[in-house]
Amino acid sequence: MNDRLLNRRLSRRTVLQGGASLAASAAVLSGLGKPASAQTGGKVIIGAFVDGGLAPFKNSIIPLAKSEGNFDVEFLEDEYGVTLEKWFADAQSGAGQYDIYLLDDPWVPQFGAADVLEDLGAGGIAGGDSDWIASMIDMGYWPPREGPRVKGFEGAEPKLIAVPFVGDLQTLTYRNDVHTNGAPKTWDELIEKGKEGVAAGKIKYPIVFRGVAGNPIVTSWYPVFLSFGGQFFDDKWNVTFNSDAGKAAADFFVGPMKQSAPEGVVEFDSDQEGAAILGGDAGAIIQYSGNALKADDPAQTKVAGKLDFGVVPKKEKAIAQMGIFIASVPKSAPNKSNAIAFLNWYTSPATQAKLAEAGSIPVKRSGFGVEKPGNRLIPVALQQLDAGCLPRPRTPDWAKVEELLGIELNKALQAGSGGGAALDAAAQQVTDYLKQAGYYQ
Amino acid sequence: MKQTAPVISRGRSQGAGLDLALPYLLLAPSVLITFIVLVYPLWDGLKASTKFYRYGKPLREVGLDNYLRLWSDSQFLNSLLVTVSFVGLAVAIETLLGLALALFCQREFRGIRLLRTVLIVPMVITPVVVAIVFRLIYASDAGMLTTLSELAGGGPAQILGHPTRAFIGLVVLDVWEWTPLMFLILLAGLQSLPSEPFEAARVDGAGPWRIFRDHTLPMLGPVLAIAIVLRTIDAFGTFDQVFVLTRGGPGEATRLLSVFGYDTAFKFQQTGYAAALFVTMGLMILALALAAVRLLRREDVA
Repeated sequence: MNDRLLNRRLSRRTVLQGGASLAASAAVLSGLGKPASAQTGGKVIIGAFVDGGLAPFKNSIIPLAKSEGNFDVEFLEDEYGVTLEKWFADAQSGAGQYDIYLLDDPWVPQFGAADVLEDLGAGGIAGGDSDWIASMIDMGYWPPREGPRVKGFEGAEPKLIAVPFVGDLQTLTYRNDVHTNGAPKTWDELIEKGKEGVAAGKIKYPIVFRGVAGNPIVTSWYPVFLSFGGQFFDDKWNVTFNSDAGKAAADFFVGPMKQSAPEGVVEFDSDQEGAAILGGDAGAIIQYSGNALKADDPAQTKVAGKLDFGVVPKKEKAIAQMGIFIASVPKSAPNKSNAIAFLNWYTSPATQAKLAEAGSIPVKRSGFGVEKPGNRLIPVALQQLDAGCLPRPRTPDWAKVEELLGIELNKALQAGSGGGAALDAAAQQVTDYLKQAGYYQ
Repeated sequence: MKQTAPVISRGRSQGAGLDLALPYLLLAPSVLITFIVLVYPLWDGLKASTKFYRYGKPLREVGLDNYLRLWSDSQFLNSLLVTVSFVGLAVAIETLLGLALALFCQREFRGIRLLRTVLIVPMVITPVVVAIVFRLIYASDAGMLTTLSELAGGGPAQILGHPTRAFIGLVVLDVWEWTPLMFLILLAGLQSLPSEPFEAARVDGAGPWRIFRDHTLPMLGPVLAIAIVLRTIDAFGTFDQVFVLTRGGPGEATRLLSVFGYDTAFKFQQTGYAAALFVTMGLMILALALAAVRLLRREDVA
């Protein structure tokens, strides 16, 4: 499963070529008159979780949607920790409080299996458009087009139930006065150079990450796990994350990485890790774009100009986790046709180019081809796409798997040892859970 | 006369019918509301607890399987243990502190009214706000305790990242917020006690401890029991504070049944299993309340 996805790499050349040709097409289209989608408009209620990665969308694209597309966008935000359950209840009860959910991509299978989202392909959104970044549009299909499928969906026709919205993925942010030769290539180099930075009084810790049980710690551990060569499940949903590679990654994470992080990292979540890197205390961090977008703003960081971006360090490979914002339309949406028209407008090459200029990572190849990307992170994100990045396993039970694994990893992180044993314990719990959920019948 | 009599009789019989129906008509709105918001959800929850759910939908009847599965689920058993420990410790401390404060504030002296008012302030603050404030106190990176510790030459205060300390931190939060409730109930109880037995005891030369042990405590017993039962039931349902402060972590050190049940129901969509969990939790609280009522009756008889 992983190899197939890894082989779908983008080269800079193909992206730029695609971008240039699509930009030219967009220019021709705009010369002929307004794009078809721009002729529509109306009320659209968008639900999102609070995340800095959506700042360019909020600040630049929503006003544009009003002026260009005549869309009246109502943008409703909630804390990450409550959105999944809130939106699932909304969709399942048919309450119709939202037209679009901006989901975290691992939630797509959960909504897909419950059959509460519109088939966007049937609604007129072209999933086959070659401008989509393949690994991103793949995440919008349920059941997945590739890889193992859960019981009950083995023979089902994949439907496009969500479209990529902001193309987020993990990259390295590092202090350029500590890593003077550029981005550290390996984890060992990251820690070693970081320690020199601590000794020189430039920083307090070589690295910072999230240690809170559940999604935060698993997200922080994921790139380490992938770079050590770990794989979560095999093609029959047998747990494989406690392989030798996985255990080595876990031991490294709860050992050397913890020793190089702030003392209280066990309780760190996004806010604390963001404060550590933007406040100038940490030498490096693997993160999504939310805090990375603040790296050049003196109002938001004490070390503006000292933060650079790079591909995640490697052990065997340099693979990051891909975790995009992905838009879906619930079947209960009160303004369904407006929502689909909005998504068509938003994912058009012209709007994607504006999104990239505003500083967000686009979801279409053409977006990467803009002359002046609004953020230095965007070309680095492209390098990371080249180097490799993988989504989380496409199962409706990911939240539970992440919970079970996260608790065990968090316990090992507290202890500062026993990463391998934690994976064994988690593997047993995940297997038991999947067994009672019918995965192995 | 012959013509009017049947009319009067008919009128009387109509009035009698209305008299009979009136209480039921007046009760009907309350009964209807109770049925909608209490009886139906309870019945629906009971039905759900006997079903196996996938992807938020019931797939099949499983009888009592969900209930039986609870007792072999290490996460449930851990949450139960954490909840019982939390409730036991928090309610015990709150009772002792509440009683001490009530005894102190029972006396009349200058400024006592202001003191009584100040003491109940924590209780009226929204629990979520209290949890956010305590998070700002406990946080190891920029929390108040860390600042104080660093001023004193120490390192960051490690509260929320350590299982035992995080648990104690949660208990401290609960004690801070809910001791005022115990104080208020017990103060009201103390002020309602007759003064004669205490005066007689003082005339007989009894000291403060003797008066407290032989008079105050036995006479306050029923109020004390009610306060403990009410607080215990309430503490069993604690959710907001732990959700904001620790979300059940680190590990599972502060994961109360309410948080585990919430995650099971809404995050993992195991509706049937979560319903079985909450029904079991409800039965435990009911058993506790019944035991307390029985204890009170026994004391009344004595």
